[in-house]
Amino acid sequence: MENEATGSGLRIRVDHVALKGIVTAIPESEIKNDAFHSRFGETAVDDIVKMIGVQTRRHSNELQTTADFCQASAQKLIAELGWAPESIDAIVFVSQTPDYRLPATACALQSRLKLRTSCAALDVNLGCSGYVYGLWLASKLIDGIAVRRVLLLAGDTSSKLINPNDRATAMLFGDAGSATALEFDQEAHTSYFLLGTDGAGEKNLMIADGAYRKFEHNDARLVDKDPSYLFMDGAEVFNFTLKSVPPLVNDLLAFSGMQQETVSWFFFHQANQFMLKHIIKKLKLPLEKAPINIHRFGNTSSASIPLVMTDVGSAQALKGDVVMTGFGVGYSWASALLNVDQMQVNALIEI
Amino acid sequence: MEEFFEGMAEILEIDVEKVVPDLNLSDYAWDSLAVVSTMALVDDVFNVMLDGQALAKCEKLSDILAAIELAKKA
Repeated sequence: MENEATGSGLRIRVDHVALKGIVTAIPESEIKNDAFHSRFGETAVDDIVKMIGVQTRRHSNELQTTADFCQASAQKLIAELGWAPESIDAIVFVSQTPDYRLPATACALQSRLKLRTSCAALDVNLGCSGYVYGLWLASKLIDGIAVRRVLLLAGDTSSKLINPNDRATAMLFGDAGSATALEFDQEAHTSYFLLGTDGAGEKNLMIADGAYRKFEHNDARLVDKDPSYLFMDGAEVFNFTLKSVPPLVNDLLAFSGMQQETVSWFFFHQANQFMLKHIIKKLKLPLEKAPINIHRFGNTSSASIPLVMTDVGSAQALKGDVVMTGFGVGYSWASALLNVDQMQVNALIEI
Repeated sequence: MEEFFEGMAEILEIDVEKVVPDLNLSDYAWDSLAVVSTMALVDDVFNVMLDGQALAKCEKLSDILAAIELAKKA
């Protein structure tokens, strides 16, 4: 059997799909740590920073949404690839900060990007694991017949979800949006995916109130908190990550038949600097192959993998097989090994 | 074990001589940051994962040592 479950997740192969380019857009407005001194005190800020590692982060302004960052990224991406807007067959928008509860933001983006109406468009509600899930989904939509070109639009403006008085989250998150172009290609290398879910962790990283399940005020951890903001039980999420991520990456390598030494890059969801360093050490990865940029941009949720990829340089810097790993809210996790030799565009912009 | 005691000294911001089994964690900064740092330290040194909530409830260093022994056997 080609597809099967392992301890780390569902094993899936994808053929005939090439990754052509990525653009990530970040807000211009940079928030430095001293901005938090008056609220939390300098000592507390230093303690938090020791753990999360974030020195600066970008926050969207009141009028900017995730869709705006994804749209700007997509416009630059298709212009640089020379793709006509009408050649795009589907768009997938991955975010937990859509423009509206309804309609799907992907529908709005079809029109804003001036794509043709015979275009499939859908939203996916995932965060930290969302980029890798989106790559799998977008790749699987491509059949070489009706669907040949897909745009994956992934990002979050988590700054709009956080309580500025919550030390656990206020300094951690940054905003960004991305666009990734995928195309049918008979000659493309096989991609490998491992996907998993454990909803038993649903309450450790969540916004408890504000959608359609009535919040029953039955969680002791939320007693003093406003349940309409993002809640994170850092220790629980940390526990989950340390347990799951190292075996996930090792299982993906085993599944793809690749060696750690032959992989050019390992791109991790930029969750927390302390945690990332620990995972990299545990996997015995060379630091230069596993870039960290959370100190400059914070945790940007579903945009963190494209943000760290577009931060390493031009498309020429990204050659060979790369591993991407996302993990967190859900709990949900995904790891993928893709060849990026066909990439033509890799850029980071500010809007 | 020495590496573990040195790590705990760093996490609690005290001299390593003070890190003894009888140490009262609540006398120091035994907060959520210390708990996750200890989880990572224990994973590094002993290759076992401790439960965060159980760790947060430890009162003395000896409770952490007992949790490590228990996790090793599991």
